[in-house]
Amino acid sequence: MISLQHVSKTYPKNGVTALDDVSIEIGKGEFVFLVGPSGSGKSTSLRLLTREDDPTSGEVYVAGKNLSKLSTWSGVPKLRRNIGSVFQDFKLLQDKTVFQNVAFGLEVIGKPKHVIDTRVPEILEYVGLGSKLNNFPDELSGGEQQRVSIARACVNRPLVLLADEPTGNLDPNTSVDIMRLLDKVNKIGTTVVMATHDQAIVDAMRKRVIELDKGAVVRDQSRGVYS
Amino acid sequence: MGVELFLRETAIGLRRNGMVAFGAMSTSFIALFLFGLSLLIGRQIDLFIEAYTGNVEVTVYLTDPVKAGTVERLTGILLPLPAVASVEHETKAEAYQRFLELFANQPSTIENTDPDAIPASLRVKLEDTSRYEEVTAALGCRTNESEEMVCAAAGVREVFDFSALLDRLSTITKGLSIGVLVLALLMLVAAIVLVANTLRMGMFARRKEIGIMRLVGATNWRIRVPFLIEGLVEALVGASFAVVVLLLGKVVFIDPMRESVQWLPLIRNADVLWVIPWILIAAVGIAVLAGTIGMRRFLDV
Repeated sequence: MISLQHVSKTYPKNGVTALDDVSIEIGKGEFVFLVGPSGSGKSTSLRLLTREDDPTSGEVYVAGKNLSKLSTWSGVPKLRRNIGSVFQDFKLLQDKTVFQNVAFGLEVIGKPKHVIDTRVPEILEYVGLGSKLNNFPDELSGGEQQRVSIARACVNRPLVLLADEPTGNLDPNTSVDIMRLLDKVNKIGTTVVMATHDQAIVDAMRKRVIELDKGAVVRDQSRGVYS
Repeated sequence: MGVELFLRETAIGLRRNGMVAFGAMSTSFIALFLFGLSLLIGRQIDLFIEAYTGNVEVTVYLTDPVKAGTVERLTGILLPLPAVASVEHETKAEAYQRFLELFANQPSTIENTDPDAIPASLRVKLEDTSRYEEVTAALGCRTNESEEMVCAAAGVREVFDFSALLDRLSTITKGLSIGVLVLALLMLVAAIVLVANTLRMGMFARRKEIGIMRLVGATNWRIRVPFLIEGLVEALVGASFAVVVLLLGKVVFIDPMRESVQWLPLIRNADVLWVIPWILIAAVGIAVLAGTIGMRRFLDV
């Protein structure tokens, strides 16, 4: 599903090497933790998968597509429709309700209204927010906001879910709830890649762990722990 | 995807950017108004030249009375010249009639003019006004010490060359027209920059939405179109005001003059209508250029 082959990334502006000859293979339906200290290259890896950045060298494949061959006008948008993204800061629109936030993700890729009206309540029910459709983000707890963000990422039924520190702003109990939800999303066949600092979570989940340090893979362990 | 979604976003964008959008619209309005004005001035100049000269560049006045065969003989000399497009004979009666029309609002001039004093003439149209010397040469004319034109050909009293006058006239009027056009172009550039600026500010205000749109796989077009429409709306609002003000200006300033200067044809509604498509094209041009400039680099995926 995801393949990085000898990928290096150097940011031309400051000359920092974020990734140095990294090769990773992730199969369909896997759940993978990317761990490592700040600046180890976790976020850069995720950015390469959505073509927000191009590698300096090496090839990146997602769902069989070589990302360097995608056109910005149609290939990249299509790629991103197959990838859901979740972030530490939720990235919700404060002037839209829960329903509208999730619907926005479908509207802007041209889904018709009847699809939106069936899928949005469905996914919000799935993430456990069936009763908060008309609330605004600032009326929700952090965990609930992250659920909205996960609902938006999953509403178009992506093949891959990328999560960049999704529990970074949440307390331990809420984090566990969010992990249960991500696990549930993974169980229905979605490949999940999660970059995290959260040792307790990684240790509790016992999933595959890929550890990065200074832009290189230093450990790749199935059913691993944080360190 | 729904048209109403685009329109809704455009409306939100315009409202959020109130003052800046207003500035862009006003500048578009002034630019397009001046642009239309320069076109109308050009049109008025054409009308004026046409009325004043009847498109005749050289008039050959004939000695009075005109002897039989003179008209045919002189026409025979002039018509074969490569510089000459056509030669028309104007009789004394016709000449007086034209004089009456020209000075219709100056009865004293008419009273004091003997109908007999206005000579018959040959009215010569040229292929190329700069070659009027061919006509004077063929008639054996030359300018004497007191700046009068004396002609050798029999039956010719005087040759009057409008081209020098026309040249002077059109230098002045063209200068005026070009001056307004240059001003209009400067304003058009200002309008493009201001519209581009509103788009930029709009994109900055909506950078979070734009980020999410990219994230979920909206195409470049889907992201840009609302901003393009916003720019187009601003330019077109400016264009509408420009058209309205030009029409009003015609009614308020030009129409009252129609009575007092009957000899001069003034621009009519049809002329103002003729300018509208050009103003609209210029408005679309502002929007497209502003969109290209405003969105460059900002929105690349």
